Parts: sequence; structure tokens; C-alpha cells
Amino acid sequence: MANPTVILKKQGEIVIEDCPIPEPKPGEVLLQMQDVGICGSDVHYWQHGRIGDFVVKAPMVLGHEASGVVSKVGEGVSNLKVGDRVAIEPGVPCHTCKNCKIGRYNLCPDMKFCSTPPVHGNLAKFYTHAADFCFKLPDNVSTEEGAFLEPLSVGVHACRRAGVSLGSRVLVCGAGPIGLVNLMTAKANGASEVCITDIDEKRLEMAKAVGADYTVLVKSRDGQEVARQIEEVMGQKPEITIECSGAPPSIQTAIYATESGGCVVLVGLGPADVTLPIVNASVREVDIRGIFRYVNCYPTALAMIASGKVNVKPLITHRFKLQDSVKAFETVAKGEGIKVMIHCA
Amino acid sequence: MANIAVVLHGPNDLRVESIPVPEIKDNEVLLSMSSVGICGSDLKYWKYGKCGKFSLEKPMIMGHEGSGKVVKVGSGVKHLKIGDRVAIEPGVSCGVCRLCKTGRYNLCPRIFFCATPPDDGNLCRLYKHSAQFCFRLPDHVTDDEGAMLEPLAVAVYSCRKGKVGLGTKLLICGAGPVGILTLMVAKQNGATTVVITDIDETRLALAKSLGADFTIRVSSEKPEQLATNISEILGDHPDVTIECSGTNFGFSTGIYATLPGGCLVMVGRVPGDAEFPLNLAFTKEIDITGVFRYANCYPTALELVSKGVVDVKPLISHRFSLPDSVKAFETASSHDTKAVKVIIECGQN
Repeated sequence: MANPTVILKKQGEIVIEDCPIPEPKPGEVLLQMQDVGICGSDVHYWQHGRIGDFVVKAPMVLGHEASGVVSKVGEGVSNLKVGDRVAIEPGVPCHTCKNCKIGRYNLCPDMKFCSTPPVHGNLAKFYTHAADFCFKLPDNVSTEEGAFLEPLSVGVHACRRAGVSLGSRVLVCGAGPIGLVNLMTAKANGASEVCITDIDEKRLEMAKAVGADYTVLVKSRDGQEVARQIEEVMGQKPEITIECSGAPPSIQTAIYATESGGCVVLVGLGPADVTLPIVNASVREVDIRGIFRYVNCYPTALAMIASGKVNVKPLITHRFKLQDSVKAFETVAKGEGIKVMIHCA
Repeated sequence: MANIAVVLHGPNDLRVESIPVPEIKDNEVLLSMSSVGICGSDLKYWKYGKCGKFSLEKPMIMGHEGSGKVVKVGSGVKHLKIGDRVAIEPGVSCGVCRLCKTGRYNLCPRIFFCATPPDDGNLCRLYKHSAQFCFRLPDHVTDDEGAMLEPLAVAVYSCRKGKVGLGTKLLICGAGPVGILTLMVAKQNGATTVVITDIDETRLALAKSLGADFTIRVSSEKPEQLATNISEILGDHPDVTIECSGTNFGFSTGIYATLPGGCLVMVGRVPGDAEFPLNLAFTKEIDITGVFRYANCYPTALELVSKGVVDVKPLISHRFSLPDSVKAFETASSHDTKAVKVIIECGQN
């Protein structure tokens, strides 16, 4: 095949098909794809055919955590040349609406985001993308690390929205890949103490290995009880909590655990409607803020890796070739490993 | 329709000439221009052939405070139709650079800006512009008001930069159009006491009629003395100073007058060739913040005018037709005329 492409034909069915090699439009580059990580959302589309209001109505190319090498440059592109290795920020907004103009392009209503239906992703041999959303990798950053900038950007955005700064005491709920990038980013932001929770002992071990000061193995669904545990372990309540599991008992814990005047950022997505101890949050002025993907975070994420401030390599646990993509998805669905990557070159 | 424009060829060489009718791209609209205001920067180009770091290198069409009527719509334009009257935000940014993406598109290094060399302005009959920077005027907002949205946007941005809010005590140096618009916007932002200074009694009278709580006529006192006078009249130090006079004197006064921990917003361009009490500014922790045009202010400016809470019409002192543009520039730059805002009407009548 000239351009093997991994396509979600419909719910439950992933195939690899040949697609024409695209031509870059003005402002775009053609990329020879290198590495693509798999996200929980990819698996969710595969297994359920939808996430909330985003429904897979037609075959869709998967993949959005990616890096590539520029192989052709479209008209008007001056920031990149053939041969440049780049990380690909998967969401291209309209650039002209109010949200784009005020610097919150992640909220653009006309956002085209890789592998969010109906927009195709980049898990293929060749792919075209807007050049201003491709970030050149310095020599010391690998293409795998380049692909990792995507989930790392979620951590950058969440920490920014939470106000993590020098001396912050942070609680991260959930030690999956997103919990881990939030832990690492919080530390990189100068947080003095980070406590992380999970229901899985093995995940907490990895969290400890990448810098968690405290870990709490969650055995109860009682938010107030777990909050007490956290306070005991940390010696005081955290000022900031970043909730990365989406599990309602964990979200409740997040609110109870956070110090008055603090902030809870909700990253994890679970059921659409959740019972919250909202009055508790309200009367203690605990702010609750959501995030949607990230905005203006790729440069920061790249700087974190390029400067050595964070090391994401230990989080890449499984690697597959493009033709074995189905096996890669099955591995993630089974809950194995942390970040599974597919090599496309 | 033939197209004529007001073209600056060099210092003091302004000519009304024929120009071609522009072709629009998919994302643009063609406008039949209505009202265009004259700004202090336009006068600088006219008198000196330069303004700040920008120099006239080739003939340039003047005008950047404009409104017009849509006569042609590009194929990609969905929010405007023929016949819509619009206010034209003169700066069209690239949208893709880091500054644009973080919401600070006024600082975009590749921005197109009407009547800043080498970009042509909109003081003409027919003009094309990016549709995304054209704001539809409701029926009750006049073409003149539409043109006034440009300096009003500067006032909105300055108050935003200074964080003027409910209860703010504000000092404005300079009661020209920008100072007076800033006064009106500050009041809408919730500023409870505004004192404004100027050397010209007529301008201060206009400021008083438009809401200033206190006016102070500046004569020969030193900045430090003026600051003391301001505190006495205000009963306190202002939290925020917005410098709109473009004088070394105004800048220094702002430093002496502003409350420690406060903010000094520099709108006016100061000559800068004097001694300034900068260490005092630093030890008082006064944040000195610059203003370069505005970003994301046109919608707010339009709201203020549309809802009738800011009345810009009293600032329009003179009106000329497009063929009489040279007279318009002369009027705007003369002290004797007591001109505040001079508007040029571009439509054929």
C-alpha cells in the first residue's frame, strides 16, 4: 500500500486500507508520519462509536497524538522545510471567530480535530496538516517524544487553569497517563508537594517513580473519607486538585479534599451528569474549572521535554508497527501499560 | 462607480486622486465608504512623513477610523450581506502566529493596518477589507458613530489594560478625543471618581459636560506639584492613571500621582527626552503598561454606542466632504479651530 491508513469503519471495526497520498493545500505541509500514540478517547470511539455528542457516522481515520517528518511544503509556508521533524497539534481552528481572536482557539466552534468525528485523524503513512500547528522538534527530542506532546499539553493546560505555581500543594486524582502528565507538569511548575491517588497499586508505583511525593490507594467510594486520608498523608489539605479519572466518587473526593479558597480542575470525563457536593465547594470558595483539550500549550510542552525538565520516555511502554494497529488498540483496551505507540514509518 | 482616494505623497503633500476599484478575495467585502475620522497619527504622517517608528516610503491612502456600506460580498463571507452598514476595524492580523493565537493580535508582526505605511487606508469611495474585521451596525447607530468606534476601541482597551473597575479612582492626563472617550468608558466600567487634566480650558469644559468629576487646568506647575493638587482634589491618590496627552509632563505626573501598587497606562506617545522619576515608579510598584491600538475591543465599543450608554456625537466638531479632505486635515491640526474630532464624508452626494 502507498498510504496504509488505520480506519474505524464503524463501532467495533478497525481496518487498514490504502488511501491516496494527499496534496498539501496552501498553508499546509505533507507529513510522513512517524509515531502516533493511542488515547483513551480513540479506544472509546472504537468500542462505543461515540463520545457524548460526537458520533461516528461514517468511516473515520483514527489517531491524534502524533509526530511526522515534512516531506512536502504547501504554498505560503515559511516556518517549515522538507526534512523537518515535527510534533503535530491535532486541532486546527478557524482563526477568525471570537474565541480564536481572544486566544481561546480550543473553544472554536468550527474546530477541526483529528479523529473527532467527522474529522479524520493522522494514523497513516502520509498526512497533511496546517503548518502553523506543526512544531519543529530540536535534535535532542525524539519523534516518540514529539507524539507525547499531545497528552503532555493536557497537563500543561490543566496546571495553567488550576494556577499551579511555585510552592503549590497539589492533589492529582488518577494515575493513568493523564494523571501522570499532570503530576510531572505540576512539579515542573514548581509545586512543592504532589499527592496522587488511584485504585491500582501498580499505577501508584509508576507515579512514585516519576516524582509523586505521596500516593494514596483508594479503597472507598466515600469522598469525605478519602479526603480525610489524603489530608492525613499530606499533613494538610492541597490547595489545588486536578481530577483525572472522571469517576464520580473521585470527583467528589476532589472537592472535599481541596483547601478552602482553592481550585479543582476537572480533566477526567465520566458520565455526563454527576452528583457533586456543590454547596461544600461553594461555601468554601473552592473554584471548579473544566478543561477542553488545551490551547497555546505545545510550545511549553516542547520546551519542557527539550530542556529535560520532564522525561516522558518511561511512560511509553508498548510499541507496535502500523500494520499491527488492531493489536495496539486491544492492548490499550485491556488496560495494559501506560502509553502505547504505533510506529508508522 | 469611480473611485477616488486621499493620498499622502510626502510631508504636506496630500492629494485627492483617482484610484482603481479593488477586487475582493473570498473572505473580503467591498465597501462604499461613509464616514472616516482623522486621528493625531494621520496628522503626524501629513506633517512629518512619519509617526513613531513608521515612515512614509511611497504614496499612501490615508484614513483608518472608518465606516461603510457593503456593496459586494466574497464567496466565503456568511455574516454580512449587501446593504449592511459596518464599522471597520482597521487592523487585520495573520491569525496564525503565536501572538494572534494568544489573543494579542494587535501585536501581530505581520498585521495589515490602514494608513500605517506601507498599508493603504480607507479614506476613499470604495474600499475592500477582511469581513472578519467588519462589524455590522444596527439601524439606529449612525455612520459617524461607526467611524468613532475606532478611537472608542482605544479607550476600551486602555481601561482594560488599567483594570479600571467598580470603585476605581482614575486620573486621565489629556482631554483630547482619546482622553474624553476614556473618561466615558471608565465611567461605564464602574469608575466612581475621574479627574482629568489638560492645558486647554475648552477641552476641560467638554470633559466636564461628559462626566468628569474633576477637571484641572495645567499651567506652569511641576509634575510633582500637580500630583499633590490632584490628591488634594480627589481626597486620595488615583488607583489608575491613563496618560493620553503624549507629553513627558503627563508621564511624570502619572508616576507621582498614582497610588503605590497602582497602574499607569501609557496611551499617548511621549517624546521621552527628559528625566523621569522611574525609580520612584518602581519603589511604588506602579505597573507601567503600554497600549498599542487595541484587540477584541470593537464588539464592546459597539455595545456601548448601540445601547446608548456612551454618546460619541458631542466629540464630532467638524465635517467635510471627501474632495475637501485637505481642508479637513488643516482644520484638525489647527488650534484656532478648537477641533475635537473631524469627520470626512466619503459618499457621493
